Amino acid sequence: MKEIMLYRGCTIPVRLPAYEAATIAVLGKLGVKVVEMDDANCCGAQYVESVSRMAFAAMSGRILALAEKESKDILALCGACSGSLKINKHFLDTDEKARKEVNELLSEEGLKYTGKTRVRHLLQVLNEDIGFEAIEKAIKKSYKGLKLAAHYGCHVTRPYEIVQVDDPENPTIIDRLIEIAGAEAVDYLGKTRCCGGPLLAMDESLATHIGQDKIRNAIAAGAQGMVTACVFCDIQLTQVQFGEDTDSSKMIPVIPIVQFLGPALGIKEDVLGIELNKTNPDIILSALQGAK
Amino acid sequence: MSNETHTPSSDFAKEIASIPGGEVINKCIQCGICTASCVVAYVDDQYRPRRLIQKILIGKRDEVLNSDQPWLCMTCRMCEERCQEGVSPAEIFHAVRVLAAKEGHIPKVFQNTIEKVLCDGWMLADAYTDFNEDEREDLGLNPALAWNDTFTKKVKKKYLAGEESA
Repeated sequence: MKEIMLYRGCTIPVRLPAYEAATIAVLGKLGVKVVEMDDANCCGAQYVESVSRMAFAAMSGRILALAEKESKDILALCGACSGSLKINKHFLDTDEKARKEVNELLSEEGLKYTGKTRVRHLLQVLNEDIGFEAIEKAIKKSYKGLKLAAHYGCHVTRPYEIVQVDDPENPTIIDRLIEIAGAEAVDYLGKTRCCGGPLLAMDESLATHIGQDKIRNAIAAGAQGMVTACVFCDIQLTQVQFGEDTDSSKMIPVIPIVQFLGPALGIKEDVLGIELNKTNPDIILSALQGAK
Repeated sequence: MSNETHTPSSDFAKEIASIPGGEVINKCIQCGICTASCVVAYVDDQYRPRRLIQKILIGKRDEVLNSDQPWLCMTCRMCEERCQEGVSPAEIFHAVRVLAAKEGHIPKVFQNTIEKVLCDGWMLADAYTDFNEDEREDLGLNPALAWNDTFTKKVKKKYLAGEESA
């Protein structure tokens, strides 16, 4: 069984551990064993990234070196983490001086970055390492009469030249997976727009407007739920639906791609942690039919 | 209105161009596709990436470095995807942030978060409670997260000593 090393990131273990559990279960079912990375540090995204190129490269560089030591590729479930690790891999692979400097720091604990480890976002593992055909074969039950909107996450898909996950303006991986599981993927206005999450620190009200606009556009297109591939996006698109000025009758479930695929693959809901979701997933789960 | 004339390659633009990420600023033709693509600009009529780049080009150094605006970019890179001239406003504002931080202009929330991350090794140490540990155990996940703070302290000492106290 192929093994991949999960870099959890800061947010998942605290805010959305079910995403981690569902990923381990779904990838396991599809033939990829997830092993967890210990002794890691924050990738440096957004904050350290904003003030020091080299500090950012060192923080991500250490994570890459930890996986390299185990001769494994890295799996990232968060757009900020996968983006940071890929951007810094690109930087360290192309800038010899920076690589040398980071390696000096790493050598104090016997680590070394040479660039052997690949960084895989969850969508790449599903699309490239496992493949749609194998996923389709593994589907045990299909969703029927369910319309879903895909939200990809900016840092998952851009900049394409570096992250190389999906088309940056017309991504299709989540849409394809929605359809493989029997549901209908709906297009909607602003599909590749940001969820607003990165603006939360500076201006929560603007960040909330951006997220709410996204949800409204998906509902206007007929979507009954939103499928995500980044912990930060998932949390943001969930929490914007709980504001004071929101209409709870117009709430739609937000669900990570693995929690959506899991039940169709015959994985039990409690293993996927679906009951912990803050938006009610019933409309999605009740669309699941018997054997396909 | 002053009579000063502006050339679109001020000393400040050259300074930004000398910081990694800022190199491409002089390729900007001020077409505004960045603002048209920007979802922050869509909800905030004060935020205009084209105008912010213009301010750099004409040399409004103090105004730009003291402003919160370069810190509002979500780095979603939609503008970069669409720019026909190969300019990345996200990278340019990143160069501005690096320079602003060096001179002590850094939003409190960034300063505090950087301090936290480098001290604890990760961002949410304070938020991780017994409740989270139980939840992880129930999900069959390891509750011991084993974050490393030795390395981030080293990074702080080497690259960011003094910055967060600015």
